[in-house]
Amino acid sequence: MTAHPMTPIDTSVEDTRPLTFRERHASQIRQWRLYAHMFRKSFSSMLGLSLVVLFLVLAAIGPLIVPYPEAASGAINMSAKLQPPSSTYWFGTDEMGADIFSRVIIGARTSLWIGVVITGIAAIIGITLGIIAGYRGGWVRAVIMRVTELFLAVPGLALALAIVAALGPGITNCVLALAIVWWPGYVRLVEAKTLSIKEELFIESARSIGAKTPWILWHHILPNCMSPIIVKMSMDMGMAILSAASLGFIGLGAQPPSPEWGSMISVARTYMPDWWWYSLFPGAAIFLTVLGFNLLGDGLRDILDPRSRDR
Amino acid sequence: MTALLDIKNYRLDIGTFDGPVHVLKGINLTVNRGDTVGIVGESGSGKTVLVRSVLGIGPRNSKVVEGSISFDGQDITNLPEKDWTKIRGIRISMIFQDPMTYLNPLFTIGRQISDVIAAHEKAAGQGVSSKAARRARTEELLDQVGLPNPSMLFSQYPHQLSGGMRQRILIAMALAGKPDILIADEPTTALDVTVQAQVLDLINSLVEKLNLTVIMISHDIGAIATVAKRCAVMYKGEIVEQGMTQDILNRPQHEYTQRLLAAVPDIDVAPERVAAEVSEAKPGKRGNLLEAIDLKKVYRSQSGTDFTAVNSISLAVKTGEIFGVVGESGSGKSTLARMLMRLIEPTSGDIIFDGQNISGLSGEPLRQMRRHMQFVFQNPHSALNGRHTIGDAIGEPLRIQTDMSRRDIEARAEALLDIVQLPTMFKYRYPHELSGGQKQRVCIARAIALNPRLLILDEPTSALDISVQAQVLDFLQELRSELNLTYVFISHNLAVIRQICDHTIVMKRGEIVEQGDTEQIFLAPREEYTKSLIESGRKTSQAANLQV
Amino acid sequence: MLTFAFRKLLTLVGTMIGIAALTFLITNVAPGDPARLVAGPNATEDMVATIRTEYGLDKSLPEQFIVYMGELVRGDLGTSIVTTRPVLEEVMRYAPATLELVFVAMFLGIVIGVPLGMLSAVYKDGPLDQVTRIFSISGVAIPAFWFGILLQLVFSVDLEWLPVSGRLPLVTRPPEFVTGLLLVDSLIAGNFATFWTSLQHIILPAIVLSFPCLASILRVNRAEMIEVLQSDYIVAARAHGISSFRIVALYALKNAMLPTLAMIGLRFGWMLGSTVLVETVFDWPGIGLYAVSSALSSDFKPVVGVTLMIGFFFIVANTLVDLAYAWIDPRLRKA
Repeated sequence: MTAHPMTPIDTSVEDTRPLTFRERHASQIRQWRLYAHMFRKSFSSMLGLSLVVLFLVLAAIGPLIVPYPEAASGAINMSAKLQPPSSTYWFGTDEMGADIFSRVIIGARTSLWIGVVITGIAAIIGITLGIIAGYRGGWVRAVIMRVTELFLAVPGLALALAIVAALGPGITNCVLALAIVWWPGYVRLVEAKTLSIKEELFIESARSIGAKTPWILWHHILPNCMSPIIVKMSMDMGMAILSAASLGFIGLGAQPPSPEWGSMISVARTYMPDWWWYSLFPGAAIFLTVLGFNLLGDGLRDILDPRSRDR
Repeated sequence: MTALLDIKNYRLDIGTFDGPVHVLKGINLTVNRGDTVGIVGESGSGKTVLVRSVLGIGPRNSKVVEGSISFDGQDITNLPEKDWTKIRGIRISMIFQDPMTYLNPLFTIGRQISDVIAAHEKAAGQGVSSKAARRARTEELLDQVGLPNPSMLFSQYPHQLSGGMRQRILIAMALAGKPDILIADEPTTALDVTVQAQVLDLINSLVEKLNLTVIMISHDIGAIATVAKRCAVMYKGEIVEQGMTQDILNRPQHEYTQRLLAAVPDIDVAPERVAAEVSEAKPGKRGNLLEAIDLKKVYRSQSGTDFTAVNSISLAVKTGEIFGVVGESGSGKSTLARMLMRLIEPTSGDIIFDGQNISGLSGEPLRQMRRHMQFVFQNPHSALNGRHTIGDAIGEPLRIQTDMSRRDIEARAEALLDIVQLPTMFKYRYPHELSGGQKQRVCIARAIALNPRLLILDEPTSALDISVQAQVLDFLQELRSELNLTYVFISHNLAVIRQICDHTIVMKRGEIVEQGDTEQIFLAPREEYTKSLIESGRKTSQAANLQV
Repeated sequence: MLTFAFRKLLTLVGTMIGIAALTFLITNVAPGDPARLVAGPNATEDMVATIRTEYGLDKSLPEQFIVYMGELVRGDLGTSIVTTRPVLEEVMRYAPATLELVFVAMFLGIVIGVPLGMLSAVYKDGPLDQVTRIFSISGVAIPAFWFGILLQLVFSVDLEWLPVSGRLPLVTRPPEFVTGLLLVDSLIAGNFATFWTSLQHIILPAIVLSFPCLASILRVNRAEMIEVLQSDYIVAARAHGISSFRIVALYALKNAMLPTLAMIGLRFGWMLGSTVLVETVFDWPGIGLYAVSSALSSDFKPVVGVTLMIGFFFIVANTLVDLAYAWIDPRLRKA
């Protein structure tokens, strides 16, 4: 056999010294730098990331930096009620005289908590069921998918409304209801992805070397499902916050005086149109947060899914 | 006489993330009226980009750096889009590689062809003819490319037709405008051997009947030789050699052409190995490593009809031999291979490996058995998990099947990389950074990690370029003698089978048509089907053309 | 095609039964006493006990389920505590308002979303594409209830162009009931003044409801168009000399319409769900508002009734989408 023309790498060095970390992980480092480069290039992705970072920072240290921390707990200051935005009260005050700016900032933490819990619960249930349904097939898949489709057959907000109505209003019940209606989306996503990955040769290859099902699910299928899951989770953080705010607005979610953006607007609506700032700022907070997570998810999709890169 | 198509010093760059890539470097090619020109090249040679540039449908983000293309005296290098309508499809038309993806699945055949006719009439400045007239013309075209029952085809959808029929329809579409030049982009690659021969015959007869000028590109030098009188060899964006096809085949000048030609397995040449084999211990004396008895696989479709993929196949693979399985797509050869390894459950029948009946095994014993038999898949690009490093991929069987320590596994993976002649550095790489041939070596390393006794190779080279295929085949043979392996080798390529297999079975529609000593089958085939298969293979083989 | 349609119809019935079971489960598995839920928060122990026997809540769950299903089949959705009228009757009364709103919003979404998506794909990365990109991403992110309030503030309060809320002014007599859709009924009655007034009333809520829907239809259509325009058969069509306009407007659009249709079906359901928000903001007398006010007064039967109704509309819409799919794609007709 003739010499192979495909060995461009000099192999003589490697026996003399161990490779450095940088050399061993050259592939990963290059990949991450490529991701970072592509992400930085896109204005909308960077805007999304900035909004999300701002939101996370406010959620972390919000209560420590706001001018009127007591505004969150429903402190009453009737002498300062319903004042327009000014240098003392940046976003004005509400009907109890609480500083709206402080309440909006403190509301970030509530929203973060809502988003993380709903998305987290939904993802854990959904991924588990989806991967099982997709890989096992047969009646297991039939049962899981039927139930999933049933949940998807009723619009999420309507179903959540019914569940909250049965459980009774309140933020915990609202989060619980949204988590219950949220997981089917993950089942559908992961099941479809699993079905296509299952047909890949590397799965058959793993079976042919005697890999057990859990090994295949954990080492082969899950890592290959991760990109769309990450994208969906990013987008869902925003959408979950939005849905919880919607229930709050209806009056079934967080109850006043808890500083939740949706319920703030719910109260503020009765003070329209003269006290417009009352609903303007909490709404803008919701909008920017949801926008941030959506743009971030969109940007992540661009770099993680090569098929969509051209879009 | 001015040339019909004249490409002068054509250079094309494609802009990418890493900067411009020089896809075409100084191409010079002249095509005269009545010429049949072939362009041979392996993947990445730039041959498809070149012919697409001729039609003004080159890749996005591409830029002509230098040179020009002129067609019938007109410079078409940077022709505005609206001027193309008078040329594209009318004066120059094209047929494509994969006939499924090049037909719109949502429109009927008739609609698609008559739309092309209407577009041509509009471009020619004449009024669009009536629906009936276009239908008549469409059916005439379908008839011309040898399709039976054109009036029925007219209202059918692409998914209802076979690959060969679809390719004929694409040819009919390309002929709709009575083109000056017909460009054929790998017209046979996606087709079965016998269908390939038919399509090439059709192109030849059309050239004769319609006095067509043809440019055909292919990686298959045999296919080129059947159609093209002149030919150009492309390598890494350059034409390294061009001239009369016969001359190039007989006296290749450039080093790359020589290498390429040497790599093409020849269906009519008996391998030297056979002589050596005979003098060895008589094959009959060796025991059977693997036996299949009355193996059957029936699939039940949703509508309840049964489809028999593999029907009552019995075979015996002797220890140390290379056992060939040859057949066209749909012959059930891949299903058979997977059943032998219990990757697919047989409907009935027994599999006996080294004296043990493994068809009833399940759970742990089945897993244990897998150590001794390994599979190498057709497409190395998807047989490796893109998220694992090469080191992880090779170490995986050891992690699953043994309780070796991480350190030992790493050492063993390095040793295996050494065996398959890849640098140990590769263990930190990811599959997408490797070439096709390198990936297939990694797959082989993975397969031999557990010291198996039998390798089942399912078309291990068909996704690779010809020159790489030759290397991998050589390597597989070396490996076998080094590690005392037995191979079951599945392929649709008769020349490859002849080159390396000791014993061969020929499959058709799930059944064995003929079996026996490989040389015997090739020299004196008993069955009609085998004869026609070998005949089709020979038609596109270079040797047949050398004898002209 | 007919058997295909028949099979879809069977699935429709099956899903309806499933949704009924789901609502039953929500009512009965939720912690807390369903009898108390029905009786309302101010009921005494005696009243709760009476209701328990009256509603058959002392029976076992499977028994209750059979009774519940039997009632549903007979069209009995229970009685509203607040209004003491049958829920079905009330839902039927409010449903046309919601449907009218959703239809108008969906119409806006498709008529604007599909062409804009197509144009953004053809002029990819051009100025129009940049604008639609920002537009479509913020469209999904904007809270409907807040957006509605802002529009009211600008167009109704400030500019006084459009009415703040409601379906018709109290003084206007609604046209004679034919379909229940005011826009249609007023036209049938030949009453153009009423048509004009109801159009003015529906504009703002329809815009709010259609905005996210429009945004996602636009995005899907754009993405699909871009993908289809790069596909092999479009390359082939170009190579065969078919004009660019024909390729985009006929060939590619038909292929890109498949995923767009799926999105339209999905968004139809989303819109039905979102009516609870939009109807609350605009005091639109539809089933969404009915559900919200019932939920707030712990009147549970109407909420379940509305959920069932919305589920029903959504399934019908999805079945229609499936049929349209098969109509467009010949490969599905056999299945």
